[in-house]
Amino acid sequence: MKNCAKILSIYASDTAGVCSMLYELGGMTIVHDASGCNSTYATHDEPRWYSKPAMVYISALTEMDVIMGNDAKLLEDAARAAKELHPRFIALCGSPMPCMTGVDFPALAAELEAETGIPVLGLQTNGIGSYITGAGKALKMYLERFARLDVQKNPRLSVNLLGATPLDFSGSRQIGAIKEVIRQSGFELQSCMAMDSSPEELRDCGKAHVNLVLSASGLPAATYLKETFGIPFAAGVPYGEKFAEKLFRDLRKSAEDGQDRISCADRPAPEKEKCLAIIGESIGAASLAAASEESAKIFVPQALGPIFLQEQDSVFADEDEIEILSGKAGAILADPMYQPVIPAGTVFHALPHEAFSGRCYREMIPVLTGKNRESGVQLC
Amino acid sequence: MLKIAIYGKGGIGKSTVTANLAAAFAKSGKKVIQIGCDPKADSTINLMGGKSILPVMNFIRDNDREPETPEEIAHTGYGGILCIETGGPTPGLGCAGRGIITTFSLLEDLKLFETFQPDVVLYDVLGDVVCGGFAAPIRENYASHILIVTSGEKMALYAARNIHAAVQNFADRAYAKVFGLVMNRRNVENEEEKVRTFAEEEKLRIVSEIPRSNDITRCEDKGMTVIEGAPESEAAQRFAELAETLWKECNP
Repeated sequence: MKNCAKILSIYASDTAGVCSMLYELGGMTIVHDASGCNSTYATHDEPRWYSKPAMVYISALTEMDVIMGNDAKLLEDAARAAKELHPRFIALCGSPMPCMTGVDFPALAAELEAETGIPVLGLQTNGIGSYITGAGKALKMYLERFARLDVQKNPRLSVNLLGATPLDFSGSRQIGAIKEVIRQSGFELQSCMAMDSSPEELRDCGKAHVNLVLSASGLPAATYLKETFGIPFAAGVPYGEKFAEKLFRDLRKSAEDGQDRISCADRPAPEKEKCLAIIGESIGAASLAAASEESAKIFVPQALGPIFLQEQDSVFADEDEIEILSGKAGAILADPMYQPVIPAGTVFHALPHEAFSGRCYREMIPVLTGKNRESGVQLC
Repeated sequence: MLKIAIYGKGGIGKSTVTANLAAAFAKSGKKVIQIGCDPKADSTINLMGGKSILPVMNFIRDNDREPETPEEIAHTGYGGILCIETGGPTPGLGCAGRGIITTFSLLEDLKLFETFQPDVVLYDVLGDVVCGGFAAPIRENYASHILIVTSGEKMALYAARNIHAAVQNFADRAYAKVFGLVMNRRNVENEEEKVRTFAEEEKLRIVSEIPRSNDITRCEDKGMTVIEGAPESEAAQRFAELAETLWKECNP
C-alpha cells in the first residue's frame, strides 16, 4: 500500500524535534495542541525528562479554540506562564490541528514578544514532518536570534557539534564519548548543539573554527554559521577508530581551507549488492557504513529527507519498499522495530534509534565511539 | 515585487478587477502572476481566452501526488501572465481554507517566485475573510497591500466593512494593510455618496472608480479583459490608471 505503514512505527515528528533541540537551553517551549499530548513530544523519546528540568508545555487546545481561532487565549496563557517562570526565551510551535486551521506562529511570536519583552521563536511545525526538520529549524532560529556576532576566534582550534539530540544519540553516554574523542584529538569543544552545553557556549559559537555536523538536524545551522561567521563544516559521526581519524583529519583541513567536507559520503561502493545495509538517518547511517568492518550501504527513509547519498545507497518511501530493498541486502542493521518487515532469509542486527522506537530499547543502545565502545556493531 | 490581494463580497467583480489589473500591468511590460484563491477557480478565465485551467487542488486529487514543477499548475495567459488557481475541495466537503494554505506552501516549495521572478503578484481571494486560510494571502511575505472591491449596494458595503475589520484585527502582526477601495459601480441610487460616506467612516481612500460598462460584459463573453478586448474604453483606462497608481505607491 502506497505511503502506508501497517507494521512499522513512524519517526518522531517535527514538533518533537523542536522540543528535543531546545530542551536544555532555558527556554519555555509551548506546543499548541490538545491537553495530554506532552508525552507525545517530550517524554516517550526524551531520556532527559526524568533527570533534567525543562519547560515544555502544551497549550491545552480545545475544540472551541480551534473553531473560534482563539489565538488570544494561547497568547494570554503563554504570557502568564512566562511571568511566573522567567524563561530565557519562548518557543511556540504547532501540531496537526493548528496546521489544518493555518495558525500563523511567526506572527503570534511577534505579538507575544511585544507583550512580554521576552524573545519568542515562532516555529511553523505541523506534527507531521520529521524530527529532522523541526530540530533543524529550531536550532537555526535559535542561533539567528542568540549567537553573538562580535566574538573573537578562540586561539586554540575549536569546534561546535551540530545536530546532537537524544532522538539520534539517546542519553549523554553517546554524546559524552563523542566529546571525549574530539578533545583527545586536540580540538577544543566550543559547544554541543544541543546536549550538555550551556546557552552561553551556544551564544559564543562564532569563536569556533569549524563545525562537526552529527546529523541532518545540524545542517541548517551549519549553513547559517557558514554564511554568518564563515565557519566551514565536516559531516559525520566519529564511529570506530579509523573513520573517526579520517573525520578529524577532514575537520582540520576544513578549518584550514574553509571548505565543507561530507566525510561520511566518502565511502567506496561495495563490491557486491548483497552487502550489509544500514537503515537510518543520513549522516549517522552513512558514518556507520564508513566505519563498518565489512562494506556497507545505507537505506534512508524518505520522511527523513535523505542527504549526501552515494550511488550504492537507496531511499525508501514506505514499508513495502523497504521490504523489497532488504531482500536484496546481505544483512540489515536497523532499529529492532524494522525486523518484522525484513524478509526471513536476511540476517538482522538490532541498533535501536530513539527517534523511531522511543524508550522501548533505550538500554540496548551501545556507545560506538572511542576505544571503550561497546559491542553491537563491528567497527574498524 | 508588488504583491496585492483583492477582497470583496462574492459576485462584486473581484475577478474582473484582478484580471484587468493583471492585464494592465502586463501591457505595461511587467511580469505578472495571478493566483485565484477561490474554490470556484474562475479568477483567471478571462486571461486564458475563456478557458478554465486545472486548479492545484484538482491536480493533486487527479494525480494522487503534489505537482513537482511549476509548469504542472501554472498556465500562461494574455500578455505572458502566469495564471494559477488554488481550486478547492469537492463542494460540501473538506476545507477550502486549508486548500489555500496548502497551495501557498506548495508554491514556496516549487520556488515559483524565484524561478519566474515576477514584478507583480495578484491574489484574487474568496468573498470574505471567513477563516485562517482566507487570511493567508495577507500574511507576512505574501501580499503587502489590499484592495477591497465594493459597489454602493448595502451588502457589498457590509462585506467591505467586515473585511476591513478583519484586517484591523491583525494590526499587531506584519500583515498587509488596506490600500483602498475600488468602487465597481452597479448604478444603484446615490451610489457614489454611499461609498464615499463608507470610505470616510472607515478612513479609507477610494483609489479607483470602475464605471458600469457593457464593454466589460462583451469582452468577458469573449473570454477577454477590457484591456485586451476594448483597450480604448473608459473601463480599460481606469484599470490602467489603477495599475499605475499601485506601481507608484505600493511597490517597495
